[in-house]
Amino acid sequence: MIIKDKNGNITISQMDDTISAKERIIAWPRMGNIDLSMEALVSSLGAKIVMPPPNTNQALEIGVKNSIEGICLPYKLNLANYVMALEKGANTLMMFQAPGSCRFGNYTKMAQKTLKKMGYEFDMCVFDMYQSKMKQTLKAFWHVTHCLNPYRYYKGFSTGFNKAFAIDTAERLLFYTRPRELNKGDAERCYKKWYQIIHETTSISGCKKLKKQVIEDFQTIPIDKDRVVPKVYLLGEFFVLLDPYTNQEIEKTLGDLGVEVERQIFFSDWLEHVLKPSFFYKKESHRERCVRYAQDYMKRAIGGECIETVGDTVYGARNGIDGIIHIMPFSCMPEIVAQNILPKVSKQEDIPVLELVLDEQTGKAGNITRIEAFIDLVKRRKLKRGK
Amino acid sequence: MNSLTDNKKTIGIPRAISYYSNYPFYYGFFTALGLDIILSDKTTSKTINDGCKYVVSDTCLPVKVYVGHVINLLEKGCETIFIPSLQASAYKVNNCSKIRGLPEIIRNVIDKSINIIDPEINKTEGISFKDFCYDFAARFDITDKNIIESAIKNGWEVYNNFHKMANSGLGFEDALNNAIKGIMVTKPVQVVKPLSVVIMAHGYNLFDERISLNLIKKLDKMGVKSYTALNVTKENAIKSIEDMGEIQYWANELELTGTAAYYMINNKVDGIIALSAFGCGPDSLMVDEVQYHAKEKNLPMIHINIDEHTGEAGFVTRIEAFVDMLFRKKRRTLEKENVINLLHTAANKSKNNPEKEKHKEEVLTK
Repeated sequence: MIIKDKNGNITISQMDDTISAKERIIAWPRMGNIDLSMEALVSSLGAKIVMPPPNTNQALEIGVKNSIEGICLPYKLNLANYVMALEKGANTLMMFQAPGSCRFGNYTKMAQKTLKKMGYEFDMCVFDMYQSKMKQTLKAFWHVTHCLNPYRYYKGFSTGFNKAFAIDTAERLLFYTRPRELNKGDAERCYKKWYQIIHETTSISGCKKLKKQVIEDFQTIPIDKDRVVPKVYLLGEFFVLLDPYTNQEIEKTLGDLGVEVERQIFFSDWLEHVLKPSFFYKKESHRERCVRYAQDYMKRAIGGECIETVGDTVYGARNGIDGIIHIMPFSCMPEIVAQNILPKVSKQEDIPVLELVLDEQTGKAGNITRIEAFIDLVKRRKLKRGK
Repeated sequence: MNSLTDNKKTIGIPRAISYYSNYPFYYGFFTALGLDIILSDKTTSKTINDGCKYVVSDTCLPVKVYVGHVINLLEKGCETIFIPSLQASAYKVNNCSKIRGLPEIIRNVIDKSINIIDPEINKTEGISFKDFCYDFAARFDITDKNIIESAIKNGWEVYNNFHKMANSGLGFEDALNNAIKGIMVTKPVQVVKPLSVVIMAHGYNLFDERISLNLIKKLDKMGVKSYTALNVTKENAIKSIEDMGEIQYWANELELTGTAAYYMINNKVDGIIALSAFGCGPDSLMVDEVQYHAKEKNLPMIHINIDEHTGEAGFVTRIEAFVDMLFRKKRRTLEKENVINLLHTAANKSKNNPEKEKHKEEVLTK
């Protein structure tokens, strides 16, 4: 269905009322910890949910089988999530999109076509982040649930946001604690425990307290504060950063090697930046900071997370970070541009950069060898500087 | 007069990417502003090798070629190089990231002294075509409105002449040469060929004879007429995309989906050849889209990926096999029609002629 609006912009209408709100069973593709917040929101609006199983080799196989060769890895996994959710009985798929960035803007259109061709019947609800963020989001959730109770919306958004903040805090603390812990595995256990607790908490007041409790609990883990721990920035494409299957749990690998990982992109930061109206957002957003720092190398944003990658590299180099690991899915267009720019940044700002291109066929061993070699370099460099 | 010639500035244009779609305009516009244009040499294997040295291996072939051309210009002694940043051709219709970031890539990968002229066009952010032209002129200290306006007009004139000629069936090179010389040639000699195909490819892939390995001429020798994006007007391309039930997502989608859709909808061709560089993001989606519709229409289609290693033999074999298949298909459909006609006429003329019946069976079994 192609609809032309007043300005002549063409949009595809995805909002069909073919399924009544009560019969809807909602599913969405997996990406990091997005499930926690989405589940809180959708279930508080009173809709049924089906969770696709976590991304595994089996899921990837389904994705690869049903999509074209040249498309990027995130799409293949998204498609697999849809298929698995539909198999489990879902009939409504939710997805956000932001056209004008890269191939990402085409995902929903392609997925719809592919799934129809495969013989599934469903309704796909797309909220377009490019037009108006909060309005589009509300409209999409109203469309799938037909929930009119404002309290439920408040509850859903409040718990959803707080859960996202709590889990991201837990993750940040995990990255900090893991290389410093005295008893191996403490931090990991603590994180898993809190993941479960955050998942199970449903009340508004309970969710509000979560972040504080997480911080307090992580502080009880015994750590070696004097240990020299090199700090590494993990940068790159949004999806591979957040999805532990795709990035082969690179944070864990790095943490076990005694490196503190800092990831600039967190789901909650992005959520806050995207959903909050701009006049509420007083402090400099991550993106603005990146644009400021990247201006020596890039004059303009070119779509995707290219400018964030470059900006963060410069920021890290000027703020005492010891190394950069840049990860991206194979054939990602914006990140290839970043990949071309980073060698010069690395040279001029004097910071080591490791490029990892992730693909469906990547063996883990090869990447681990490269990471280990890189970390050796970073550690030696840090020791030399310390003297 | 003397002072003018002394002050005459030169600008280098790499013979890649936007050269193949916009050069007629650039020519008209720049010469009217009083600039001397230096073009880089045609693509050779050396150009590609030069380009590969500077960019990372994942970059697509056209960008590698582009870098090679910039190197070529620098070797020629031209340091002022025109590298436009073509971001969005309409609201929310963006270009591929690599094309958007061309000036960014060049600025960071080439460590020689270089003066990049990188005006931007981004209609999503409200930077219009006029801003593009004024920005460009300002880099050469030309701010007089009248001069710029008349230069733009001149640019469009060359551009429109080029497209008129190309539309009528003239090849890219001929149309370009004529447009630059200011000659109008409309109707070239039309040769009727048994087969016709549409090639969906970016201009910078197809009309670069090294990248496309002379695909158009090769098809010509095999007796196949090939239609390209130049044979379709912009309006027709836009309309065809809509008719096919798709929306334009990429800035250069008209060259691919638009062209293929136009010929597919109007049933003018026997097959589709998709030519794209390995790792091309937009192409991977657009080719899939067209493939989907071609399957519905039962139209043969081949997707050929090219990269810097392309051995010519493998390429030719695939084209030949595809063309052979098209020939066989066409012959069979024609024969079928003929046989049916024969049967009808034969049945009407003599109903009891065993010899003729036998002959008919033979024809059928063939």
